[in-house]
Amino acid sequence: MNIQANQPAAKLTVAETALVEAFSAQIGDLPGNGAVAGTRDRLLDDLKNAGLPTRRIESWHYTDLKNLLRSVPEQVVGTKVSSVAPLVKGSTVLSVLQGEAHADAEIDGVTITAFRDQLSDGSAVAGLTALDKDDAIGRLNGSFVRDGLALVVPANAEIEDVIELQASHREGQVHTRFPVSFGAGSKATVVERHRSETDAAALVSSISDITLEDGAEITWIILQQQGASDTHLAQIRVKLGAEAKLRLYVVNAGGKLVRQELRIEVQGEGAELTLRGVNLLGGDSHTDVTLVLGHNVPHTNSTETFRNVIFDKASGVFQGMIKVAPDAQKTDAKMACNTLLMSDDGDFSVKPELEIFADDVICGHGATVADIDRNHLFYMMARGVTESKARAMLVNAFVAEIVEELEEEKLVEPLEEVISTWLEKHA
Amino acid sequence: MPAVQETIDQVRGIDIDQYKYGFETVIEVDKAPKGLSEDIIRFISAKKQEPDWMLEWRLDAYKRWLTMEEPTWARVEYPKIDFNDIYYYAAPKNVTGPVSLDEVDPELLRTYEKLGIPLREQEILAGVQTSKVAVDAVFDSVSVVTTFKKELQKAGVIFMSISEAIREHPELIKQYLGSVVPTTDNYYATLNAAVFTDGSFVFVPKGVRCPMELSTYFRINEKNTGQFERTLIICEEGAYVSYLEGCTAPQRDENQLHAAVVELVALDDAEIKYSTVQNWFPGDKEGKGGIYNFVTKRGDCRGARSKISWTQVETGSAITWKYPSCILRGDDSRGEFYSIAVSNGHQQIDSGTKMIHLGKNTSSRIISKGISAGVSQNTYRGQVSIHRRAENSRNFTNCDSLLIGDKCGAHTVPYIEVKNQSAQIEHEATTSKISDDQKFYAMQRGIPEEEAIALIVNGFVKDVIQQLPMEFAVEAQKLIGISLEGSVG
Repeated sequence: MNIQANQPAAKLTVAETALVEAFSAQIGDLPGNGAVAGTRDRLLDDLKNAGLPTRRIESWHYTDLKNLLRSVPEQVVGTKVSSVAPLVKGSTVLSVLQGEAHADAEIDGVTITAFRDQLSDGSAVAGLTALDKDDAIGRLNGSFVRDGLALVVPANAEIEDVIELQASHREGQVHTRFPVSFGAGSKATVVERHRSETDAAALVSSISDITLEDGAEITWIILQQQGASDTHLAQIRVKLGAEAKLRLYVVNAGGKLVRQELRIEVQGEGAELTLRGVNLLGGDSHTDVTLVLGHNVPHTNSTETFRNVIFDKASGVFQGMIKVAPDAQKTDAKMACNTLLMSDDGDFSVKPELEIFADDVICGHGATVADIDRNHLFYMMARGVTESKARAMLVNAFVAEIVEELEEEKLVEPLEEVISTWLEKHA
Repeated sequence: MPAVQETIDQVRGIDIDQYKYGFETVIEVDKAPKGLSEDIIRFISAKKQEPDWMLEWRLDAYKRWLTMEEPTWARVEYPKIDFNDIYYYAAPKNVTGPVSLDEVDPELLRTYEKLGIPLREQEILAGVQTSKVAVDAVFDSVSVVTTFKKELQKAGVIFMSISEAIREHPELIKQYLGSVVPTTDNYYATLNAAVFTDGSFVFVPKGVRCPMELSTYFRINEKNTGQFERTLIICEEGAYVSYLEGCTAPQRDENQLHAAVVELVALDDAEIKYSTVQNWFPGDKEGKGGIYNFVTKRGDCRGARSKISWTQVETGSAITWKYPSCILRGDDSRGEFYSIAVSNGHQQIDSGTKMIHLGKNTSSRIISKGISAGVSQNTYRGQVSIHRRAENSRNFTNCDSLLIGDKCGAHTVPYIEVKNQSAQIEHEATTSKISDDQKFYAMQRGIPEEEAIALIVNGFVKDVIQQLPMEFAVEAQKLIGISLEGSVG
C-alpha cells in the first residue's frame, strides 16, 4: 500500500558493484570519441539498472548470471602475453594479446584495423549496441571494449591462407571485438580462437560482428580454449546476404563459466547456413550455447547440429531458437542437439525452440540425451577392447564426426587433435 | 470414409460467428456481488456450508494470492484482467438438491439437450449402447444432478461434487486437497484455492476398477462469471478410473475467466485416464469475446507402477494456458500426454505438459499435435525433467505442428533437463504445411480439395484421437472440423 516514491535501486551484487566501479575507474582511459563515450555510459547505465540477468529472464533461464558470476577480477595492466602457433599450419595470425590488438600482418587486399582506432575516430559507434533488452553481453562488451580487430575483405577476393584471429590472455579483464565483413563473392576461412595462458581467473567478453555480402562463401571456426577459472561471455553476430554460404563451426573446450550466443540473421534469398558445434564439458564448468537464428526472407536454408559431452560435475546448456518471419516461405531449417551424459553428477538442459510465422516451410528439431549405447559398447568389448578404451573411442567418434564434415584435411586434423587431447585429459 | 464426410458437413454447416453452442439460458441465478474480498470468500464458504478449516484454507490462499503477480512468460496477449469486475459465485437458484431429473429446472434440461449432454444416459451416443456414462453436470458453479450414483456406490466408488465431499468426506479432502497442486503453486491455482465454487470429487478404493467412464460436462453460463472448478481424483492401490471432461459455453461479448485446478493422485499400481474435450467460445471473427482458460492440471503418480494419462482436444477458448503434468514419484510409474490443439480466428494457445521424473525406471510419452489457422498463435510448451535419482528413466516426445494459411504462427518451446546419466531422452518436433504432394495424391484419386485436406488433418491427429474413449473420439473429430471452418481449402 505504502509504496515509496523514491525507492532505492535494487541492491547490486558483488560482481555488479565491481563492474560499476571498474567502469568509473577506467572512464578516462577507455578509447573512444564523444559519441562512443556517450554510448558506453548509456550501456553501462542499462546494465546497472537491469542488473545481470537471472533465471527469471527467459533467455537466461539456465544460466543465472547474477548468481553464477560471484566476483569480477580486477583490470590488470602491463601483463605480457605472447602469441602461439596457429591452429592450422600456414595461417596468417592476427593477435589480440591481453586485450591489445596487433594488426601488423598483411593479407592481400584485406583492410586490417585495430578496433581501438575505430573507437577513437567514432566509426565503431554504430556497432556498440545491445540487441535486445536482455542483451547483457552487448551491454557489458559495449561499455568496456578497448580493442579488437576489424577486417574488411573486398568483393570477389579469394583468400588462400587461413586467417587466425587469436585472442590470448593471462588474467584480469579482457573485452574485445571483431567486426569482419566479407565483400560480395569473396571466399575465406577464418579461425577465431580464444585461449588463456594460465589458470588464473579472468573475465572475457567478446563480440564478433560477421557480415557476409551477397554470394560470399566463408568458413568460420571458433575455438574456445579458455582457462579452468575463466568466465567467457561471447556473442557472435552474423548477417547473411543473398546466396551467401556460411559454414560456422564452434568448438568449446575450456572455461569455467561460458555463455556463447550465436545471433544469426539470414537476410538474403538463397542464403545457406551450416552450423556445427562440439561442446566438451568437464570439471565443474558451466557452458551455455544459445542460438537465435532468424530466417527473415524466403528461400533460405540452414542445418544445425550440436554434439555435447558432459563429464564430472559439469553443467551444459543448449538453447536453439529458429525463427521464421512472416512471408519467409520455403524456409528449410533443421536442428539437432545430441548429448552424451557421462556422469551422474553432471547435467544437461536443452531448449530447442521453433517460432514460425510462415506456412510453407519445413522446420524441425530433434534432441537426445543419453549415455553411451550399451550395444555399441558390447560390440567393441566382445572384440577384446577394454571398457574404458571402448568408451573413449565411442565418445571421440561421437564428436569427431561433426568436424569431419569440414572435409578439408588441414582444418579437420588440428580440430580432431584438440578434441582427442581434451578427451584424454578429462575422460 | 464416413467420419471425414461428417467433418466436411460440420464445417459447411456452421459459420464461426454462429457458434453452435452460443445461446444463453434464461434462468434464475443466485450470485454474490462482483469483486473479490475476504467477505466474498466467507460468502462462498457459507453458501457451501463448509466447515471452518475449509474457510481458513481459502483465506490463507487469498492472502497468498494478494502477494503474487500474474505470470507473463506464456506467449499470449490479452488486456489486463480486472479481478474485481468478476462474479465469483453464481449458482442456479434451485439448490435444494434434486434427487431425480424430473425435479430439475426444465429450462436447464433444454440447455443440456441443445448441448447434447448425455444426462439421460447415452442417447447422444447412438450405437454405443453397451457403455455406461455417469454424468456429474456442472451448470455454472453448482453440481446439479448426479446419475448412476447408486451403481457407483455399489462398487465403492465415490463420485460427487467437491462441495458435497467437503461435507461428507472431510478426512479424504483434508488428506488430498492441495497435495498435488499446493495453494502456493501459481497465480491462478492460488486464486482458485481461494474462490473455487465447485467441481468433481472421485475416490476409487483399493483394487476397484471403476465400472463406467465418469464424465463431467462444464458449462459457463452467467455473464461475467469466472468459473473456478476444483477437481480431485484419487485412485487407491490397484484401482482404475477413466474420467471424461467436456466443455461448451454460450456466446459472449465480454471475456470470461476460467481458472480451474485438477488434481490426480495415483497410488501403487493405480491408473487414471483423464480425457478432455474443450470447445468453449473462442471469440468471434474479429477476436472479440471468448473464454480465458487458465488451468492448472497435475497428476501425482505417488505409488510404484502407477500410471496417469492425459488426453486433450483443445479447440475452443480465446486464450488457453494449460499444462497438464505428471509427477512421476513412484518407481516404475508412467506418465502420458496426448494433445490436439486447434487454433483458428484470433485464438491463442500456449499449452503443453510437464513430466517430472523423480522415481527409478519412470517413463513418459508426449505426443502433441498443433494445428494453427486464421491469425491464431499456437504454442507447445513442455518440460521434461529428469532428477538426480531417476535411474533408467525414459522419455519420448513428439510434437508436430501444421500450419494452414500464412497469417498464423506455430511455436514449439520444449525444456529438457537431465540430471541422471542413465536417462534416455528423445525429442523431435516438426512444423510444416500440408504438402502439395499429399493433396495432389488425394485429389488425383477424385477426392475434392476440401475433403482431401480434412482427410490429411484427420490423419495428422490420428495418434491422439486413438487415445480417446470412443464416445469422445466421435465428438473430437466433429469439433476439429468445426474449429477449422473457414480455413480449409
